[in-house]
Amino acid sequence: MSQPFLQIRGIRKEYGPVTAVHDVSLDVAQGEFLTFLGPSGSGKSTTLYILAGFEDPTRGDIMLKGQSLLSTPSHKRNIGMVFQRYTLFPHLSVGENIAFPLKVRRLAKAEIDAKVRDMLKLVRLEGFEDRKPAQMSGGQQQRVALARALAYDPPLLLMDEPLSALDKKLREEIQHEIRRIHQQTEVTILYVTHDQEEALRLSDRIAVFSKGVIDQIGTGPELYANPATRFVAEFIGDSDFLPCDLVTAANGKAEIALAGTTLIPNVPVHGKPVAGGKAALMLRPERLHLMRSAPGGSTALPVTVSDVTFLGNNIHVATQTAKGDALAIRLPFGHEAISSLSRGDSVWLGFDPASAHVFC
Amino acid sequence: MLSRIEAKAAGSKGPARRLRLTDFDLTLPALGLLVLFFVVPVAILLARSVSEPVPGLGNYAELLGSSTYLRIFANTFLVSGLVTFVSLLIGFPVAWALAVMPSRAASVVFAILLLSMWTNLLARTYAWMVLLQRTGVVNKLLIGLGLIDKPLPLVNNLTGVTIGMTYIMLPFIILPLYGVIRKIDPAILQAAALCGANRWQALVRVLLPLAMPGMAAGALMVFVMSLGYFVTPALLGGTANMMLAELIAQFVQSLVNWGMGGAAALVLLVVTLALYAVQLRFFGTDRMGGR
Repeated sequence: MSQPFLQIRGIRKEYGPVTAVHDVSLDVAQGEFLTFLGPSGSGKSTTLYILAGFEDPTRGDIMLKGQSLLSTPSHKRNIGMVFQRYTLFPHLSVGENIAFPLKVRRLAKAEIDAKVRDMLKLVRLEGFEDRKPAQMSGGQQQRVALARALAYDPPLLLMDEPLSALDKKLREEIQHEIRRIHQQTEVTILYVTHDQEEALRLSDRIAVFSKGVIDQIGTGPELYANPATRFVAEFIGDSDFLPCDLVTAANGKAEIALAGTTLIPNVPVHGKPVAGGKAALMLRPERLHLMRSAPGGSTALPVTVSDVTFLGNNIHVATQTAKGDALAIRLPFGHEAISSLSRGDSVWLGFDPASAHVFC
Repeated sequence: MLSRIEAKAAGSKGPARRLRLTDFDLTLPALGLLVLFFVVPVAILLARSVSEPVPGLGNYAELLGSSTYLRIFANTFLVSGLVTFVSLLIGFPVAWALAVMPSRAASVVFAILLLSMWTNLLARTYAWMVLLQRTGVVNKLLIGLGLIDKPLPLVNNLTGVTIGMTYIMLPFIILPLYGVIRKIDPAILQAAALCGANRWQALVRVLLPLAMPGMAAGALMVFVMSLGYFVTPALLGGTANMMLAELIAQFVQSLVNWGMGGAAALVLLVVTLALYAVQLRFFGTDRMGGR
C-alpha cells in the first residue's frame, strides 16, 4: 500500500509552560471524513489550526501526499476551511465570496463564473448569488462558506465547529448537507466538534481528544462498543460508573467484586489493572435489562427506583444501588414493566459482563 | 392596586409624555446653543459679505475672480489634500498595529497619542520649527549621517506645513480607523489567507474595503479641519503659500475688511458642507450592513 494521504507526526504545541497538544500522531486516508471530538481545551482546534498554518507546532511534522506542509504559508497550502464564526467577506456578495479564492488565483472570468454556479448548486443556494452575507441566515452563511472553501478543489477541507452557532434543528439539516457534499465531492474532511452526536452522524472515524492527546481513534461503533479509556466511555454514549474492587486480571479480562460480595468474572478491562486495586465498572443504560425478582444464573444488581422519566421514544429510569451510586436504565416505550414501575420499587438490573467494561 | 394604575395612566399621561421627550425635546438645548453661537454669527457674516462695502456680490466676484485669491484657494486644497493623504499613509499602519497589538502595549501608544493631542498646539508647532530649521535637529542628523551636504529647506514652505499639520492631524485618522479595524474579525483575514490571498491581496481586497468607512470618516475630518487651519500654516508656512484661514485673518485683522473676510469664510463653509454631503452619500450610516 502507498503512503497515507495525510500524516500527522508527533505534533506538539507548547504555549509557554502549557502544552496544548502532546505529540499527536495520526494518519488520514484520502476521501475520509475524520472528526476530532473532545471538550474545549483538549487540543483539537489547535491541531486543526496547525494544519491550516495559523499556528506553528513546537515539534512534529505534517505530510500531505508525502510533502511536508510546515514550511508552506497558509495562502499557499491550498486547503479549504470553514470556521466556527461567520467569516464571509461582508462587503462582497455571495457570488463574489465564492469567486474570491478563484480571483486571487487569477483564473479566467468564464471559468470563475462557471465554478461559482457549480458551487451554488452544490450547496443548494442557486439564486442567492447577489445577496450580501448580512441578508442571509447563519445556516445559509455557513453553506456559502463551505462553497467558498470548496471552490478551488482543495485536497483537504478543515471544519472548525462550523455549526456550533446554529440551533439544533438547523444543525441536523446542515449535517445532512455536509454528508451529501462529502459523498458528492469525495474531499478529505477533518472536522472539529465537541458534540458526540454530530461526530457520530458525520464521521467515518473519530479521534477522541482529551487534555492534548488522542485517547482513541476508531469508527463510532468501535468507540461505543470498546472504549479504550473511561474518558472515551463517558464522551461517546451514556454511561454510569460503579466503584468496584479488582480481584484478578488476565488477558484483558478481569474478575471484579461489586459492593464487596458479588463476584463478576470475564469483564473486559482497560488501563493498568492491579489485583486487589480499585476500579470502575461502566454500564450503559440501554444495555441493562430490568427484572422484578432476583434472577437465577445471570449477573444482576439489586437497585431502588428513584425516578421514571418519559422521553418520547424511550423511558429513562433512574435507580440507586444499595451503596447510593446512581445507575440509569433506558427502556423502550411500551416495555411491560413501565406501567407498574414507581418510585421506591426494588428491582434487579441484569447485564452481560462481556458488554460491560472495567477501567483502572 | 389596579385602580391606582388605571388612574395614573388616565390622569397624568405620564408615560406617553416621557416617550415624546426623548424624541425631540432633549435636543432643544443643544439646538438653541447651535442657533445662538453658530447660525446667528454665520448669518451676520453672510449679511456683511453681501452688504459691505456696497450691497451686492462684489466681494465674491473679487474673491473668485482674482488670481491671487484663487492661488490661495488652490494652495489650501493642495495642503489639505497632502496632509490627508500622508496622514492616511502613516495612520493606517499605526491603527492596524494598535488593533492587533496586546492591549497593554496599545494603551501605551494611546497614551502617547492623547498626550500629544492634549499638549498645547502652539508649543507643538514651535517645537517643529526648532526641529526643522536650517540648524535644527533634523538637518544636523541628516548632515551628520552624510545623507545631505547642505541643510534642506524644511520650514517656511509647503514641506514644513505638511509635516507640522500631518503630525497634528494623525490622531484624527488613527482613532476612527482603529475603531473600525478592531471590529474586523481576525478570522475573516485567516479565511482570506486560506482562500489563497497573500498579504497584499488580503490587504487590498479585504482589509482596505472593510476599513473604508473609518478611512473616509478620518479623511473627511482631517481634510475639513485642514481647510480652515490657521496656527500651523501661519508659523511653519512661508508667505508664498498662504492658506485660506490666514487670508481671512488678514482681511479681518489687518485690513478690517469684514465683507471680504465673510465671503472667504462662507466659501470655506460651503466647500465643507459639500464634502460632508458627499460622505453621507457614499458612506451613510447603513452602508456597513450591506443593504
